[in-house]
Amino acid sequence: MKVTLNWLKDFVDIDITAVELADRLVNTGFEVEEIIDQRAAIKGVVLGRIESIVRHPDADKLVICKVDVGSEVLQIVTGASNIAEGDVVPVATDGAVLPDGKRIKSGKLRGVASCGMMCSGEELGLSESDYKGAGVYGILIMNGEDKALGTDINDVLGYDDVILDVAVTANRGDCNSVLGIAGEVAAILNKPLKMPDLSFSADKASKTGDYVSVSVKDKQLCPRYMAAAVTDVKIAPSPEYIRRRLKAVGIRPISNLVDITNYVLTEIGQPMHAFDMRDIDGGKINVRRALDSEKIVALDGKEYTLSSDMLIIADAAKPCAIAGVMGGENSGIREDTQGVIFESAKFARDSVRRTSRGLGLRSDSSARYEKGVDCSLQEIGVRRALHLVQELGCGVIAQDMIDVFDNKPKARRIETSLSRINGILGVDVPADEAVRILAALRIQVERDGDKIVCIPPEGREDLENVNDLAEEVIRFYGYDKIDGTLMEKGKQTVGGKGLRIADTDLVKRLCVAAGYNEILTYSFVSPKMCDVLMLPEDDALHSSVELLNPLGEDVSRMRTTLAYSIISTLASNYLKSIHTARLYEVAGVYYDKGAELPEQSERLALGAYGKDEDFYTVKGVIENIMRAFGIDAAYERSTLPYLHGGRSADIVAAGGKVLGYIGEVHRDVSAAFNVEERLYIAELDIDMLHKYARRKYVFEQVSKFPPVERDLAIVVEEDVSAAKIIAAIKKAGGGLLKEVSVFDVYRNKLLLGEKKSVALNLVFRADDKTLTDADISSRMDRITEKLHSELGGVLR
Amino acid sequence: MSVISEKIQEILAYAKSRLEESNEAGDVNDMRVRLLGKSGELTSLLRSLKDIPPEERPTIGKLVNEARDSITSMIELRLAFLKRLELERKTRDERIDVTLGGKGVARGSYHPCTLVREEILRVFISLGFSVEQGPEIESDYYNFQRMNMPKDHPARDMQDTFYITPDVLLRTHTSPVQARVMDKSKPPIRVVCPGKVYRPDDDATHSPMFQQVEGLVVDKDITLCDLKGTLECVAKELFDSKTKIRFRPSYFPFTEPSVEVDVTCPVCHGKGCRICKGTGWIEVLGAGVVNPEVLRASGIDPDVYSGFAFGMGVERIAMIKYGIPDMRILFENDVRFLSGFKEEI
Repeated sequence: MKVTLNWLKDFVDIDITAVELADRLVNTGFEVEEIIDQRAAIKGVVLGRIESIVRHPDADKLVICKVDVGSEVLQIVTGASNIAEGDVVPVATDGAVLPDGKRIKSGKLRGVASCGMMCSGEELGLSESDYKGAGVYGILIMNGEDKALGTDINDVLGYDDVILDVAVTANRGDCNSVLGIAGEVAAILNKPLKMPDLSFSADKASKTGDYVSVSVKDKQLCPRYMAAAVTDVKIAPSPEYIRRRLKAVGIRPISNLVDITNYVLTEIGQPMHAFDMRDIDGGKINVRRALDSEKIVALDGKEYTLSSDMLIIADAAKPCAIAGVMGGENSGIREDTQGVIFESAKFARDSVRRTSRGLGLRSDSSARYEKGVDCSLQEIGVRRALHLVQELGCGVIAQDMIDVFDNKPKARRIETSLSRINGILGVDVPADEAVRILAALRIQVERDGDKIVCIPPEGREDLENVNDLAEEVIRFYGYDKIDGTLMEKGKQTVGGKGLRIADTDLVKRLCVAAGYNEILTYSFVSPKMCDVLMLPEDDALHSSVELLNPLGEDVSRMRTTLAYSIISTLASNYLKSIHTARLYEVAGVYYDKGAELPEQSERLALGAYGKDEDFYTVKGVIENIMRAFGIDAAYERSTLPYLHGGRSADIVAAGGKVLGYIGEVHRDVSAAFNVEERLYIAELDIDMLHKYARRKYVFEQVSKFPPVERDLAIVVEEDVSAAKIIAAIKKAGGGLLKEVSVFDVYRNKLLLGEKKSVALNLVFRADDKTLTDADISSRMDRITEKLHSELGGVLR
Repeated sequence: MSVISEKIQEILAYAKSRLEESNEAGDVNDMRVRLLGKSGELTSLLRSLKDIPPEERPTIGKLVNEARDSITSMIELRLAFLKRLELERKTRDERIDVTLGGKGVARGSYHPCTLVREEILRVFISLGFSVEQGPEIESDYYNFQRMNMPKDHPARDMQDTFYITPDVLLRTHTSPVQARVMDKSKPPIRVVCPGKVYRPDDDATHSPMFQQVEGLVVDKDITLCDLKGTLECVAKELFDSKTKIRFRPSYFPFTEPSVEVDVTCPVCHGKGCRICKGTGWIEVLGAGVVNPEVLRASGIDPDVYSGFAFGMGVERIAMIKYGIPDMRILFENDVRFLSGFKEEI
């Protein structure tokens, strides 16, 4: 919200500088984003008159002027050709600064002294709409000015204001106006707020009702509608002060009637619309919902197709305006307009917002409605507009404006106590001070000892309860008076992380200890992910959640796997010529299973490449994690399409639940990322780890008797896995066989052909005696037999 | 007698000089045989005692025995000396280059955002807060409506939102977790909710996905001063013990009064520098007293209980703390950048 210091001064006596005021506004909750001093841009430029012009002795295109700038006559050399003796012009004197930062200094031009520069409109930052003649190529001629020679050009141009760009928070709809900000300033300075002049005298001979009737069909969407007729309209430019103020806040002046509506919008915060009386068919204004596919061409010249949830202003025959958003081209003010109907209405905020979004059409009016316009503003707005019509003498005001306003909101009463306010703040604000602050904000306060009853002013829809009052008090009492305390009155609680979160921390710690660097990638991925990972059409990873409004197609799906992210991060490092990497991430994956909220679970992804990496280095990390969670997992050959068919495994818990996978990335997948190196990845479901964890320690007596160890080497077919051999040995070995482990796998085409020899170490132990050779040999026989019958294995 | 005694002295002198010359354990043993063995010189001398008058025998015998003991001890010393020499030589031979790298894996690292998040959580846990998490894809109901932002509320414009359906969205803050906590527990509540949140912004200081730590206290007699004291604790822990904080009035639909919280610039300590744009202060979080409407919507009587809530962006604090100029660096995942973070969680 842009306001100017002078405009604010219409409503409150401000005796501090703009910078000080900005500071005070920030401390009461209004961020001031910019302070623009209109006078700061141009310095040292004054009004002058050309006394004489003679030719330059050494240059055909230059002339030498004597220019009277009041206090002295300057000699200035110029190349401009649009000047004549007697012309009044802006003169940049020695040391002057222009809006583009250029500094003017005395000097010589082709040997002749020149003590300044006459300026063009462009050099002063002016366009034709700012000053007549400013658009001309050449010096700006200001012959119409009656100010004394030597007058600062800022005073000639009326640059005497400071513009403050104030950020208004969403709860303070009432402050989106000069008057609203002035109310805060009045409270800050503890001074009275002067109301704008709303007086006017109407023509006794005519009534608004003679020209128009109003019928509001939807009072939900339009709680109040006021209309006032003005006849004998004379369309002309507005006076200079209105044009300057509008320009200062960024609104282009158009003509008196239109400018009045914009002036009122800015000053009072009430959006106004002016219809050309001629265009209201049948003199009937109907505030109604649009018919489906009804069409209107708005003032921006574009046609909009409406729907039945949008509110419009229609006459007997056609839509004339999209309520609160934009007027229709068919009924706007034109050069020859002679009578207007001013509209000053309250339209429901949600409705304007939806309509504006729905049509993709925003205006100053819709923006203002979306911030909330309260029911007190319509009358102030229309009266202010009529006052300005009278002040500008641009029309005759009809009597008896129309006001359709059935459900007047009741004044809100907040009953509470001063001690309650202090209880929220934790600060002892003296009672009188608290009451003074509330009263300065025009809140009616009835006080009975500690008890207070507060009635907020109409515009303050944000004041609903005691917390709101507490905020008003502390805003002006000062946040610097709050001293930190540590919940001394609160109950002590036990803090900490639950086991589930601690499990995630454990996984991360294990990964870091294993040499992995944690990464952080976006949860959204490209829909191309499925193609890159070569997923078949019916793969569950396809059921991703899609964003309605993504930042781009490549970040439009919530990921169903971390595989894509970890592979692309490995690739991005690889492509930067980094030779080894070990990366991990803990993040969510999301599955659309048809429920309201998608299924969400937490995963760990591991990724590695480099000369020392292989399937087993990654598996080692996974096994360590499994040990930490006490999970006895099996590793079964995986069929995941994005992994190497021979070098990948599913991680399976007892009962067959798949917890994740480990594997080398399929060559076609890594090739899609331009990676030639082998990449290894793994993914684990941490929610499942938490669920399947067996971490309770159960005491077991350690045997006092020595173990007996036996090694055996068995020759089997290549596809007989170590897991199968160990399982067979354990089955045949009985309870005394405590440990079985593989210590070598040997291949030799000459000796073994296509078969392999697997060497294992077996440890037998009893809890109650020292085992003898006889105890062992019978068991070894059973084991050998089993390996032969079940796996076709032969002892080597 | 003097002849024998001279002979003994001779043998002793011989043994001493020979032993000093022997550099091998074998030579020393040869000496032992030669002097002390069955046919050794000293042994022979002892045998010759029978040719000596009986009254001199004890004296001579004593001299011979002393000489034997002396030689034995010289031999032992020499052997020990040689053994030590041998060990020293071996040690020298087995020397390695101790500057070569160690074996086993080098430790990895935590992402800076994890480090910052865990540091924040540690302080809050020490203040009695428990840590809670919730879904990242949330209902409009928990994300907005329970936070006093019904549909079409103008404050929704403050937080642009990624939608899945008109009623399901990517949470824009971790506040919905607080609502879920209030649904299942009664005051006193002290909870912090870390997690990823999403808003459609993407530039040097905004990421469409970022992490927050939000917190909530609901209890009797909780004040705005308690909020300040709690946040002071965190700021001092996160930055340094001289850090101060200040409140500026602001607006959030779910808190009332609402404040923006600034900390003294950790780089210049309030003097004013490039990082704090000369102000001496850096905005780090938003906070306030819980809006009574939020408590009421959660079935908590605002006439009995009050509380405060706050929310901070982890990436932003990481950038301030580690001097990272662009938020996107945190998502580049360059191993060389990541390896620089040594801290433990």
